[in-house]
Amino acid sequence: MTLQLGREATLAFACACAVLIFASFAPAFGTAGNLTAILRNSYELWLIALGMTLLMAMGAIDVSVGVVMGLSALLIGKALAGGLPLGAVLLIGPLAGACIGLVAGLIVVIGQIPAIVATLGLFGVFRTVIFLGLGGQWLSGLPDTLTRLILWDGLFAPLGLLVIAGANLAVWTALRATPYGVHLLAIGNDEARARLMGLAVIRIRIATFVISGALCGLAGIFYVAIYRNVTTTIGANIALEAIAAVILGGTAIFGGRCSLLGTLLGVLLLRILQNGLLLMGVPSLWQTVVTGGLLLAVLISEVVAGRLSLSRRRRQRT
Amino acid sequence: MKALRDNLVLAMLIALWVGLLALIAVTQPDILSARTLTSVLQFSTILALVSIGLGLVVLAGGAGIDLSVGGVVSLSAVLAMLAQSAGMPAQFLPVLCIGIGLVLGGFNGLLVTRLALYPLIVTLGTFYLYSGLALALTGGAALAGVPDWALAFGRGKWGPIPLPFLTLVIPVILLALLIVLGTAWGTWILAMGNDDRAAHLSGIPVDRVRLVLYCVTGGLAGLAAFVSLAWLGSARPNIGVNLELEALTAVLLGGVAITGGRGGLTGVLAAVFLVVTLKTALLQSGINTVWQTGAIGLLLIVALLANRFSLSKG
Repeated sequence: MTLQLGREATLAFACACAVLIFASFAPAFGTAGNLTAILRNSYELWLIALGMTLLMAMGAIDVSVGVVMGLSALLIGKALAGGLPLGAVLLIGPLAGACIGLVAGLIVVIGQIPAIVATLGLFGVFRTVIFLGLGGQWLSGLPDTLTRLILWDGLFAPLGLLVIAGANLAVWTALRATPYGVHLLAIGNDEARARLMGLAVIRIRIATFVISGALCGLAGIFYVAIYRNVTTTIGANIALEAIAAVILGGTAIFGGRCSLLGTLLGVLLLRILQNGLLLMGVPSLWQTVVTGGLLLAVLISEVVAGRLSLSRRRRQRT
Repeated sequence: MKALRDNLVLAMLIALWVGLLALIAVTQPDILSARTLTSVLQFSTILALVSIGLGLVVLAGGAGIDLSVGGVVSLSAVLAMLAQSAGMPAQFLPVLCIGIGLVLGGFNGLLVTRLALYPLIVTLGTFYLYSGLALALTGGAALAGVPDWALAFGRGKWGPIPLPFLTLVIPVILLALLIVLGTAWGTWILAMGNDDRAAHLSGIPVDRVRLVLYCVTGGLAGLAAFVSLAWLGSARPNIGVNLELEALTAVLLGGVAITGGRGGLTGVLAAVFLVVTLKTALLQSGINTVWQTGAIGLLLIVALLANRFSLSKG
């Protein structure tokens, strides 16, 4: 528990440092407009990374989350352009995401296939589906109905932020206060033992894929609201960003331990770095390098730090 | 029993391949020609080199996988060309490609063996790192300037068979088969795949074997990078895109168990031909290339499900 607290404090400190450094080197960074833009750019990643946290806590992973969001965004965009009522538009995203999550869950859990390989295949399939759905052309110039809804500031914060806070609160409650959460972490710790204990391993694993899919669908609403277009390459790198943010946030790769606050801060740090580097004149092509490098750096430093503390403890004992 | 299963996989692949050819013969008869054979073998060269390495890594178990192979191919090609334009003599081009591949693969191997990190996550990270670097260093543009002798090799043919296939793929596959079937290393690899811990306890240098396998995969990817240079005449930063998907499909379709310890390289090679024939048929029928990704992805999932099914029966 203390370790998790340490991780989150470190991340918050890193975010603050990054903001200070970028603000002093790039004058455009520290403006209120830019800081709001960083928050706004984090919306869809926050939701996707939330689902990824659950998956990774369970010892699974999904590299197709970006295109699942893309597929939902495509449906939402078509519905918006087709003039469907707002309620239907809002329902389509999460519903489509949940259905796709169910398919992924069935393939991984019933087919007993490693999640990363199965979702890599699904990534290819969904990319093609998106391309065919778009007919090779971008969907652009969508109406700003969703944009106004998400940025609606009637309560004390924009509605979009409230939705994200609500989703995090719901997942947190589910993790801490319901059997689902306890069982999820038990599966992440040791799946074979969880099965021997009589937990409904198959049902819980499929349900988690459905939840993650629904969150990706919800992220699709945010994507359409903020960018108001759907491109053929939509969501190509989001899976990497989500995985990096989750690992950055202190969720164990093998499952069994997770931190929602850590994931929130991990996403924020990633977006601050991307925005700051861009404003300092680093071409956007370097973003993948930075994200991939950060992911590896965290992995390596975790192992090295773990070994150091282990050897220190050994020395104290002797 | 094991031999029977391997033969079954091979027979199934050949049956699928013949079926695909028959389908092409009926629907698009003008595609079947010596030129198409050359192009299939040409595409197979890169995929076969990468798949052989990946197949060995997966065979050796321990959750072994290398998702970064496509990134290694792109980055080796780009870095070697950059070195050449920085003044390195052109005759070192092939050596440099392989050398860079070895180093990149060795980095994966060190992280997996020395730091005991999970291969999936490590190679996912290096996949983005390597392919991102290849794109960022070139700004997305292809680097021209491949020497003429390399082009002559890359585009040369012996009958309908491309020279790179004849001089690289065939020796590499023969060597790999010899090592897997005829040396202690082959036994070690299969033993590790069956039970990593038991292999370690019986004195097999598990970590060293695994490190070498990741290096070999990187080196073969570097060789594939040189083939792409010599064939296309330029270093394209996106040459490795989707290669990990195709190689993984070939390895699993070829009957290698994702958990390691079961399968063989002949199946992988047969699967490479199947995948490339499918791709070429789609390409030459004038169907949009985006279909290829979807078809390969679907094939991967089907291969996995079939793999699982045959395992539970066996």
